Amino acid sequence: MSGKDAQDQFRLGFLAAVEDTERGVVGGLLVTNRFGRPLEFQCTTPVKPNRTQQILYGPTLRPYLLAEVIGRTLLDKVSVKPHLVLIEADELLDLRTHVDIPVASFVAKPARDDETILRVGQQWLAFHLEFAADRAAVQKRAGQVPDTADLKEPFERIREALTETLKGPAARSA
Amino acid sequence: MDDVTERVDRLVTRSVTGDDVVRGPHFTSDVLPVTGDEITVDCESTNLSVSTDVYAAGLNSALQRWSKAEPQSVSLHVVVNASGWKPPKPKVLTFGLTFPEAVTFLPSAEKKPDEDLRPIVPPKPEPESAIPAGPTEAELLGVEMPKKPLTRIKPPKDSLSLEDRLFYLLQPPLQTWLAGQELIIPFEPFPYQYEGIGWLFSRSSALLADEMGLGKTMQTITAIRLLVRGGQARRVLLVCPKPLLPNWQREFRTWAEELPFVVVEGDTDRRKLTYTMPGVPVLIANYESLVRDFAAFEEGTFPKFDLVVLDEAQRIKNRTSRTAETMRALPRRRSWALTGTPIENRPEELGALYEFIEVVPPNATPDLKQLQTLAKEFILRRTKDLVMKDMPPRLDRDEILELSPGQRYAYDQAEKEGIVHLNELGDQISVQHVFELVLRLKQITNWDPLTNESTKLDRLDADMEEIAASGGKAILFSQWTKTIDWLASRMEPYGALVYHGGVPTKQREPILDQFKHDPDKHILLMSYGTGAVGLNLQFAGYVFLYDRWWNPAIEDQAINRAHRIGCKSQVIVTRFICKDTIEERIDRVLREKRELFATILGEGDNLNRSLSLNASEIFGLFELKARHGKGTRTIGPKPPEAA
Repeated sequence: MSGKDAQDQFRLGFLAAVEDTERGVVGGLLVTNRFGRPLEFQCTTPVKPNRTQQILYGPTLRPYLLAEVIGRTLLDKVSVKPHLVLIEADELLDLRTHVDIPVASFVAKPARDDETILRVGQQWLAFHLEFAADRAAVQKRAGQVPDTADLKEPFERIREALTETLKGPAARSA
Repeated sequence: MDDVTERVDRLVTRSVTGDDVVRGPHFTSDVLPVTGDEITVDCESTNLSVSTDVYAAGLNSALQRWSKAEPQSVSLHVVVNASGWKPPKPKVLTFGLTFPEAVTFLPSAEKKPDEDLRPIVPPKPEPESAIPAGPTEAELLGVEMPKKPLTRIKPPKDSLSLEDRLFYLLQPPLQTWLAGQELIIPFEPFPYQYEGIGWLFSRSSALLADEMGLGKTMQTITAIRLLVRGGQARRVLLVCPKPLLPNWQREFRTWAEELPFVVVEGDTDRRKLTYTMPGVPVLIANYESLVRDFAAFEEGTFPKFDLVVLDEAQRIKNRTSRTAETMRALPRRRSWALTGTPIENRPEELGALYEFIEVVPPNATPDLKQLQTLAKEFILRRTKDLVMKDMPPRLDRDEILELSPGQRYAYDQAEKEGIVHLNELGDQISVQHVFELVLRLKQITNWDPLTNESTKLDRLDADMEEIAASGGKAILFSQWTKTIDWLASRMEPYGALVYHGGVPTKQREPILDQFKHDPDKHILLMSYGTGAVGLNLQFAGYVFLYDRWWNPAIEDQAINRAHRIGCKSQVIVTRFICKDTIEERIDRVLREKRELFATILGEGDNLNRSLSLNASEIFGLFELKARHGKGTRTIGPKPPEAA
């Protein structure tokens, strides 16, 4: 496969986090090729919000941490940029407002045709409503992903990897 | 009540004018009236009027005039020093891991899948046009359909760096990696095979010791394929016994069709060139030539391999042998050993394998407990009983046959003369002498060269008639190529094919192919030495052991050519044993040993004892006695003490 071909291949990013009550939240971004084979993994050290942040952000603290702090940082750091970032909780869709890459979350199979939703692999994806062009951009490449691909599976890998990082002494809080 | 009244105080405070003001009664807390009692409070009134005198000071009229006020505008603008606060963004440190680039090869031409194995059928996704779709059966029942468990690659316990552990944890489950996506695998592995592939993939030191017939070859090839395709290994050397070279080539073409491999063969110069040839991911060599070739390289110049795999690794069980020393000296990063019989005779043999996979220091002699501890980490062994519960059964039957009159006469004569000869040898006797007699007698039970009579042949002929009529196929094993050649002409009506050490290697593969595909070829005559290992003959429903090998483990290997993964129906194994002959005695000894080991160590494994006959047991087959004074005494080595 030539370098150009490899560049054209659809790359997917999977963003997930694991919370440790003592040390805080660690986030991980796994970039895979269209078949789910890993290309790059970036993870953070534990991030623990202080009391002021907890009071001021209230219920928005978690989306803030995961999207703006962790997600954005990881996407800045990763050298193999994904064409699409997948998240498990739609409250993190706002990550899209901080990055230039389409972000999508999983939704249930629609009862009827829905132009805001796109099927990739075995899953149905919803995009940020303010970025209408994202769906079309992803749709161009979505065909490269096998229909049998389970896009939820890589999140299990990330969680296992993040749990492993928390075991080590290197996982000191930021 | 009087007491209460008397203790009412007056709370007196001073007013702004300096007068005392009565604020009312006050109860001290310790004399609060009892509930229900009447309280009488006496109040005192105090006159608040104060008499003043007014003096005429001339100011009174002035006090009655309006004062003059001149309004003036002033700015109400106030400068406030307020401090701003913006929540700081937490500082986040990151850790990254980049995976090696995948290696791709051009796939070979499309070929028809093997009919004996079942292809993978990935679950069909629902077409998009099917929306809206009705509820599925699972949805209607309100249950979640069980998913097939996925096999994840686990990092080995000895991987110390976080990067190494994350590398394995982040690999996709093997099922998704292999099932019709980036890597196409022709047939779906069984769950235990997925486990074996994942286990090998993550190991630098591994001994895969699955029982014969469980697919060690396929698991190894697939793990190699994943390593090569994942950029983890660029040069792999696979070493096997020479007769198995065609088998490995065929299996590589089946399980990793896109993976280029080269067999190390030809003259010395060509072989040397092959070892150093760049760009070939897999080299396949045989033990004998590799030992010679390694010696031909100057010390330290033999090329380094990312992985060296030894098939039938029991070949290096004698750690001082030249073969074992050469294999240990091969420069390599990973070492895998494959064998269905990690211990054939003594536990020390396992130590030799551990030394090759570099988990014990050179010349180490781990005790039994250490061997078992190492086994938990570095050996993966599964038996058919454990993993292939749905495999068709193997039916064993012992055919006890009476020798024909001609054979009986020849046999009795030979035994009588032989024993007389051995007794005459007295203390000069060696196990070799006894062994020669055993072989002579065993040969007569196969067939009598003088009369050409054979009761085994008669029985085989009767069975084969039935098997051929039903379109079945049978494999026959014998210890002697001479017996096989003698049988070949007599089994001609059943399309007999011959496969033993005397058949040139290049002709062997076509013979197996013919046996498989030619409906007129019903029987394959094989020697234990050549046919017992590495061959896949699961389409044969019958196995005949025309004579018995010394070690039941070797017999099992032979039987497992047919009774292995992919066999569709039961396999009937027939052992020919001639009554009142040496065969019956050998069978009894082997059976007793096997039962003893099964009782002590459990079914399948024989960690501590030899299944082969030892010298004492071979002597014990005959009652040998030397003259001793007026009487006789038993000769031969004493049996070992019971453990």
